Amino acid sequence: MPLIEARALTKRYGEHVLALDGLDLGVEPGIIGLVGANGAGKSTLLKILLGLLSPTSGTASVMGLDVTRQGPEIRQWVGYLPEHDCLPPDASATEFVTHMGRMSGLPAAAARERTAEVLRHVGLYEERYRPIGGYSTGMKQRVKLAQALVHDPKLLLLDEPTNGLDPAGRDEMLALVKRTGTEFGMATVVASHLLGEIERVCTFLLAIDAGKLLRAAPIVSFTERTGTLSVEVEDGADQLAARLRGEGLEAAVDGRVVLVASADEGRYDLVRDAVDELGLALVRLEHQRHRLEDLFSAQDAAA
Amino acid sequence: MTGPRPVVAGEPLAAPGAVAGAIYDLGYRGYDGPRLGRGAAVATLFWHSLRAAFGWGRSGRSKIVPWGLAAFGLIPAAITTAVAALVPPEAGAALPFTYDNYLSNIWTILALFVAAQAPELVSGDQRHRVLSLYFSHALARSDYALAKLAAMVAAVFLVGFAPMLLLLVGSILVTADVPAALGDQLENVPQVVLAPLIYAIPGASLGLAIAAWTPRRAYATGAIIAVFVVTAATAGILEEATRGRLSDWAQLVNPFVAADGTRDLLVGEPNFESAASRTSLAPWIFGAWTLLLAAASTVAVLWRYRRIAA
Repeated sequence: MPLIEARALTKRYGEHVLALDGLDLGVEPGIIGLVGANGAGKSTLLKILLGLLSPTSGTASVMGLDVTRQGPEIRQWVGYLPEHDCLPPDASATEFVTHMGRMSGLPAAAARERTAEVLRHVGLYEERYRPIGGYSTGMKQRVKLAQALVHDPKLLLLDEPTNGLDPAGRDEMLALVKRTGTEFGMATVVASHLLGEIERVCTFLLAIDAGKLLRAAPIVSFTERTGTLSVEVEDGADQLAARLRGEGLEAAVDGRVVLVASADEGRYDLVRDAVDELGLALVRLEHQRHRLEDLFSAQDAAA
Repeated sequence: MTGPRPVVAGEPLAAPGAVAGAIYDLGYRGYDGPRLGRGAAVATLFWHSLRAAFGWGRSGRSKIVPWGLAAFGLIPAAITTAVAALVPPEAGAALPFTYDNYLSNIWTILALFVAAQAPELVSGDQRHRVLSLYFSHALARSDYALAKLAAMVAAVFLVGFAPMLLLLVGSILVTADVPAALGDQLENVPQVVLAPLIYAIPGASLGLAIAAWTPRRAYATGAIIAVFVVTAATAGILEEATRGRLSDWAQLVNPFVAADGTRDLLVGEPNFESAASRTSLAPWIFGAWTLLLAAASTVAVLWRYRRIAA
């Protein structure tokens, strides 16, 4: 039985906005990355899976339960971390997570015990007795994760879990997500617009764009792709590209950037010398990072 | 040596060779215990909200208004009891407050309690978007709405019930023959319980229905006061100015006036001091209107939470 299944799932907001456009999915348990640009339909998909939104047409199921008819049964086994703020400022982390544990059906004593455990797991210690209003963004994200974990769900839906975090905070949150998913075998869906983050924690990737499924594959099939060398120069990108083609390299021009395909070690020297001899001002020379755009343009090329 | 080891009395608990005092990372652990489901979630939300209505589990500052109002509501009952204790009943002095007129006299306190505390129950969850967490638990939207509604009714009931109970207990204790008084007062128990409920149901549900429509606490409080107090004042002016049937109907806007009439209809002796009894409307109109107000408010709250984005 697939963890998540969707057939021709469509969600319309009003007349003009088509958030999901006939999405077909079949996902097995694991740590699943859900990538897409802002507005691609990630949050809409998560909310439909939770039964918070009803689809305009099509069907979806989570753990074999239908999202429109069995919402409460699904939600009992799912932990959800929303993208936006969702914490009352006047309660302490302990009070709030205990309350949410009880809302999930845990008896009072179990809720208190589980709260202490999950808050320790997410790394909140003495500060958990203070009101949440005084917390840093990083601590708030931890509380959001803790409330999603308190009832020991079978599936964790995380919507932009690193939202608003500084680089160190991102690293810690991603490590936490990875640890929860791998060591404790909890099926997890991480929605993010940052492919780099997904690469670090996920085993499977779902890419969606404009409400359509772009690609669904194990993460390794994405990272196999060889990097492109990106060379940014002040002027004369065309000149440089022509010169590099003359050297037998594949070069394409994108504004002020020359993209050089499959750069091995020797080609750095070729590029450097070409720039030097043309007398161009070099702004940047880097391995192009995997970005959503790459994924999407590769898809366009294949289509 | 792997796996759990049976604990044997007299044997050291640590495995042989383990470093004494080592800290083990227990990490995340699963939960295999009972899950109580939807009913328990609704009950939890009800108690949580009822406590919140009295600032319980919140900062000291948020207790001032609810407890202050509840205390104000008790003062007339305390004075009445004190007077009854000091002046012998043989003197024949009529006590200023009775079961029949008490709630009618403290209706502004009940109204202010609703205006101050109904937003406490519902505004924060909308403003801080805690709703999306509630709705992502095993609980339907209507469950949330009804639990909040029930909690608000229960809170207003308690504020009205406390002085009624004080009147009852006071009237028993000030007499010389307590067991006899206990028997005499037994017949008053139903109205001591029911009258506060009659006032709480329309007032609390209308207040919550207004509060649920805005995430802004101050707006909600202002709107509730406008409906309860300002319309009551306007109706009073209309009454003075026109003495017509229109002013009678205008009185009904205030749910506590509706409750006055309903109480006269259902329990106790008629209270001739109330705004309801000054109108020329038939008693059943108050009863029907109270029911209608409560039902319409409930529908409004359910409708609001069905539609609200989470």
